[in-house]
Amino acid sequence: MSSRSLFQQTLEEMDGNPQQIEAVQEKGHCVVLAGPGSGKTRTLTTAIARALLDDVVEPRGIACVTYNNECALELEGKLLKIGIEPSDRIFIGTVHSFAYSQIILPYARCVYKDFPIEPQIATLQQTKQSKLNSFQVVTGKPIIQNNTWKTAELIRRTVVNRNSENWNNQDKGIIAIINSYENDLRKNGLIDFEDMPLLAARLVIENEWIREAMHAKYPVLFIDEYQDLGTALHELVLQLCFKSNIRLFAVGDPDQSIYRFTGANPELLKSLTTYPQVKTIQLPFNYRCGTSIIEASNSALGQDRNHKAPSGTSKGLISFDKVDGNLTEQANYVIKELIPKLSENGVPLEKIAVLYRDSKDGDLLSSIAASQNIPVIRADRNALILRNNRLSRFIEACSSWITGGWKNASPSFQHLTTEAIRLVYGHTISREEQRYIETTLLGFLHKTINSTGSTHDWLLKFKEELITPWLALAKTKIDDWSTIDTMIQRTDGSMNNSDLSLLQFSGHMTNEGRLNLSTLHSSKGREFDIVILFNMNQGHFPNQYEPDNSEDMYEARRLFYVGVTRAKYELHLVFQTKHYSPWVAELYRRLRDKNQL
Amino acid sequence: MRLSRVQIKNFRNFKSLDIPLSGNTVIVGENRVGKSNFLFALRLVLDASLPDSARQLKQTDIWDECTDPNPTVEIHLDFSDFDSDEAILALLTDYRLAEDHTISRLSYVYRKKPEVSGEAQSETDYEFKVYGAGDESRGGISNSVRNKICIEILHALRDAETELGNWQTSPLRPLLDDAISKVPKETIIEVAKNVEDATAQVTNITSIKDLESSLTSKISTLTGPMNDVNAKFGIAPTNPQRLFRSVRMLIDNGKRGISDASLGSANLVLLTLKLAEYEWLRTKNDQNFTIMCIEEPEAHLHPHLQRTVFKKLFESSKDEPLCLLMTTHSPNIASVAQLNSIVVLKQENGLGTVGHSLASLALQPELMEDLQRYLDTTRAEILFAKGVIFVEGDAEEALMPVFSKTLNINLDDLGISVCNVGGVNFDPYVRLARSLSLPFCIITDWDPLTGKQPLGINRLLSLIQLNNELKNEEQMSETEKQELSNDEEKLKSLGMENGIFCNNSTLEIEVAETPELGTALLEVIQAQNFGSVRQQRIESWKNGESPINGEQLLSMISDIGKGRLAGKLSEASIGLNPPEYIKVALEYISNNVQS
Repeated sequence: MSSRSLFQQTLEEMDGNPQQIEAVQEKGHCVVLAGPGSGKTRTLTTAIARALLDDVVEPRGIACVTYNNECALELEGKLLKIGIEPSDRIFIGTVHSFAYSQIILPYARCVYKDFPIEPQIATLQQTKQSKLNSFQVVTGKPIIQNNTWKTAELIRRTVVNRNSENWNNQDKGIIAIINSYENDLRKNGLIDFEDMPLLAARLVIENEWIREAMHAKYPVLFIDEYQDLGTALHELVLQLCFKSNIRLFAVGDPDQSIYRFTGANPELLKSLTTYPQVKTIQLPFNYRCGTSIIEASNSALGQDRNHKAPSGTSKGLISFDKVDGNLTEQANYVIKELIPKLSENGVPLEKIAVLYRDSKDGDLLSSIAASQNIPVIRADRNALILRNNRLSRFIEACSSWITGGWKNASPSFQHLTTEAIRLVYGHTISREEQRYIETTLLGFLHKTINSTGSTHDWLLKFKEELITPWLALAKTKIDDWSTIDTMIQRTDGSMNNSDLSLLQFSGHMTNEGRLNLSTLHSSKGREFDIVILFNMNQGHFPNQYEPDNSEDMYEARRLFYVGVTRAKYELHLVFQTKHYSPWVAELYRRLRDKNQL
Repeated sequence: MRLSRVQIKNFRNFKSLDIPLSGNTVIVGENRVGKSNFLFALRLVLDASLPDSARQLKQTDIWDECTDPNPTVEIHLDFSDFDSDEAILALLTDYRLAEDHTISRLSYVYRKKPEVSGEAQSETDYEFKVYGAGDESRGGISNSVRNKICIEILHALRDAETELGNWQTSPLRPLLDDAISKVPKETIIEVAKNVEDATAQVTNITSIKDLESSLTSKISTLTGPMNDVNAKFGIAPTNPQRLFRSVRMLIDNGKRGISDASLGSANLVLLTLKLAEYEWLRTKNDQNFTIMCIEEPEAHLHPHLQRTVFKKLFESSKDEPLCLLMTTHSPNIASVAQLNSIVVLKQENGLGTVGHSLASLALQPELMEDLQRYLDTTRAEILFAKGVIFVEGDAEEALMPVFSKTLNINLDDLGISVCNVGGVNFDPYVRLARSLSLPFCIITDWDPLTGKQPLGINRLLSLIQLNNELKNEEQMSETEKQELSNDEEKLKSLGMENGIFCNNSTLEIEVAETPELGTALLEVIQAQNFGSVRQQRIESWKNGESPINGEQLLSMISDIGKGRLAGKLSEASIGLNPPEYIKVALEYISNNVQS
C-alpha cells in the first residue's frame, strides 16, 4: 500500500467495523484478538501499511513476523498485493528467521567470543549425536535417558534467563545436561532450532545496546499468530517491546493455539492483554461461517465465544454423516459418494476440503481418490509440495513460470530470483552473486520452458543443475533442502505410479480443480465452502493420551474448533455408526437444543 | 556519528595507512603525496554514484613498490558513536565488529579471484568486494547505506561558474524547486503575467523590435517554415514552470551575475549552496549523513578570507550530521582547524605515504588551547616542517637562525622550525611532535638555584620519562631516577640521547662565557649606557680581570629587556660560534632531518 489513497480506500471498506479501524489507527502497543473469519489479515496488513505511511521513516523499518513459513509466505503474498515488499528495512518472515538473521547473526559474534562464525542449523542426526555426547559427559554412559531429556528440554525452553534465580534453582544434573548439549553443538559450529529464540532472547535481555539497535531498525514489530509462540519467543517480544521502545502490534486467537508440541502456550497471548500499556481490541465479527457453524464452533471449543455473524448471514448446514464400516469404508463414502454428490450440485472441487488429524488418513483418502480419478492437493506431511517449506514452494513457483507464467510474469522472474537469493544467501549480496543466481536460474528455466513432460525428470534436472551448485554456496541452511529428494522420490513413477506432468504439478498451489486434503494443523488460516471432518471416531478424537480436563484435551478441542471454523456454508462430520467421538454427540445435542439442526 | 578510523593497504601512494580520525578532518600534505587518492579510497567504499567499472581497479592502482605477486588492496572505514541517531543506528548496526560492537566497519577489497590458481595474468583475474562488519561472510553492504550516508567531493579543479550556471548541475535547482512548490498557483500566474508585460515593454521598443524581426526572418529563411524554431526576444521564458528556473544568484546587490564575480567568491557561493543542498536533502530524509570532501578549499581565496570562512565552517558543522573532510596545503586553513582534526600525510622511503593524525592527541583542555593558539599564531608552521627545535624563550628564538648559519646549517632549506614554547612546559609540544612523527630537539637551561637542586634535573627526568612513554618504552625505576639526579654528567648525556640539550646555567651566562660571543654580548650591554659601576664591571669581565658574575649580568639584562637584547645580540653574533650545547643540538636536529 505504497499510496495513501489505496490505504484510505481500505479504511473506508472497514466502515461498519469500528474495532478493525481502531486497531489500524492505534499508535501504542496493541493486541488484536481475532477469532475465525474476523478479518484479521486485512486488519494486520492495513495496520502495517499505516505504520509505513505515518510512523516509520526510512531507513528505519518494520518487522512482520509469524510462527511458521506457511503463514509467513501467506503474509508476504498479501503484503505484496498492496505494494509492500520485503527489503533491507521491511522484514517479513518467521520468528525463528527473525531471531536468527536479525539478532543472532549480527550480534552473537560481538558478545560470545567463541561463537561459530557461520553457525549452521543442526540436522536431526546432529542434535541426536549432541544429546548422546552430553549424556556421555554427564552420566558417563552414551545413553539418552528420555525422561531426563524431556525435563531438560522443558527447562531449556521455559527458563529463558540464565542469570535468573529460577535457572540457578534447577536441578544441577539437568543444567549440566543442557550446558553440555549446547557446548557440543557449538563445538561443531551448530545451533539447533530451539537455540534461535533462546539465544536471541538472551542477547536482548543481557545487552541494552542490542535492544537500542533493534529499536532503531524496527521501531514497530508486528506479530501474527501470537498464540503459536512459546516462552522464549514471548520473552524476546517482552524484552523488545517493554524494555526498549519498540511498538508491539500482536494479532492472534488463543482458541486457535494448536502447537503445544513445539512449546506454544495460549496463556502467553492472554497475559499480554493484562499489561497496562497494552490496548486490547477484540474483533467481534465472524464474516466467514454460517450462523449454525458459529454455534457449532462454541460447542467444539467447549466454551462460549461471543462471535457475531454480520446480519444477513445464512444459517449454513451441519451434517452428521455416519458410515456403517471401518475407516476405509468411511473414506470410500467420502470419495465415492459425498464428493460426487457435491460435484453434481455444482460445487467446484477446490472449494471442498477433507480435514483429518493424521497424515495416514490423507494417504488413505488420496489413494481412493486416485482410483476414482479425482485430482487432489494435499497439505500434510506426505504432500508432494510441503506448504511449510520455502524450497518446495519455490520449486512449484519455478514450474509455474516455465509452464506459462513467464508470459504474464506470474510469478515474476524477479520474485523467483529474490526467493532463490533468500534461500541460498539469506542476506545482502554483491552484484556478482546476484548475477550468478540470475544466470543459473534463468539458464535452467529457459532450457525447460514450455516442457510438458515428467515432473520427476524435471525435478532430477532441477536438483542437478540448480540445487547441487547452490547448496555448495549456501552458508547457512535455515530451510530443509532435502525436500527436493523427497519430491523426487514422491514423483518416482516406477515406484508407485505417481509421476505427473509438469502442467499438473505446476497448478498445485492454485489448487484449481482439485480436492483439498489437509491435516487440521495445516488448515489453520484457510477457509473452504465445504469442510468434511474425517475420522471423527471414538478413541481418535480425543485419543487415549487426551484424558478429560488435561491440557492435551484442551489442545485437541482447539484443534477440533479450528476444523469446524474452516467451513463457510457446510460442515460434514464423518464417523462410524455408534462409534462417534463424544464431542460429536455434544455438538449434536447442543444444535438440537438450539434448534439449529 | 563520526568516521573514526581509515585503513588503506596497497592502494596507489599507500602501502599501509592506518589513521584515527576525530570527526571533521583537515588533511595536510604536499602536492602528489596522495590527498586525492585518500578521498578516492573513501569513495570506493561509500560512493553510491561510483560505477562498478570504477571499482574494478587497474594494475596501476596498486601500490608501486608492492612486491607481492598477488597483492590485495584493502580499504576499511570505521564509524563510531553511531547510536545517538536512530536512522544512522538502523543503517550501521548490522556492520559492527565482532571484537568491538561500538564500531561499525565498511570495507572494500580488490584481489585476485579465488578461483584463479597461480599468479594473476591480467586485470580480469581480479575482483572487488564491498562488505561490512570486517567479515566477508556477513555479506555485502545494503544499497540504502550508501544512499543515506553520502560522500560528496568538491574537486580541486572545480569550475564553480559553470556548475552554478547550468540548471541541471546547480545545487540551487532542488532548493529553488522546493521553494517554488510552495508558491500558490495564482501567484505564479500573476508573476508570469508581469514578466510577460515587462518583456512586451522591452520588445516593443522600436529598435529592438526591428532587430528581432530581422533576426527571426533570417533564421526562418535558413530553416524553412517546417523547422522554424519561432525565435523571439525575451527577458525570461514566460511559461510559469520555466520562468522560475531563470532565477539566478546575483552579487553586489543584484548588479552583477556570478560570472562577473571573482573565482574565489564564486567558489564560496558554490560551497554555501552545496552545504544548503545537503541540509535540505537531510530534512527531506534523502540523506542521513553527509561526508563532504573539499579539495583545496583555499583555491582562489584571499588568505584572510580562508581563515574566517573555514573557522566558521568548522564551528557551524559541529552539531550537524555532517563530516567535513578537507585536503589542503594552505597554512591558513590548517592553522584554524581543530588540533584533533589534523592529519598530516608524508612521503616516506619504502613505506609510501604515511599518515600522522592528531585525533588521538590527548591533553588537558588548557594545554590543548595553548597548542591551538601556538598553531594559529605560527600559521601552522610545524605541520609543514620536517624538524623542529623547541626553545624556552624569545632570546633562543632570535638566536637559533644566526647560530645555525654560523654552523652552515640552513634551517629553511632543511624545513626546520624553531618553536618558542614561552617557558619550560615542553610536554604538550613534545607530544605534538611525536604525533606527527617529527624529529625534534629541545634546548633548555640547567637553571641552578642556590641551596636547592637545579630545576634542570627534574625537567630532564620528566622529559626523558615522556619520551619513554611515547615510544612505549619501559619507564625508569625510582632508584634509576635517584641515581641520575645525583650524576649530572650521566643525566645530561641521557638527555642528549633523547634530543634534550641542556647547558650548565642559563642561556645568557652560557653566551657570556663563550669566547667571541661573550665579548659581543658584553659590547651590546656596554652600549646601553649604564652607570659607572656597571660599566666598570663589564669592562673587567671583558678584560678577563674578574670572572663573570651571573647574578649581576642577569640583572643588567633584565633592565635592558631580554627580547630587546636578543634582537641586538643576534645582529652582533653573526658568524660567531654558539655555546657548545647549542652547537650539538643544531647538529643533532640537522642530522636527524636529513637521515
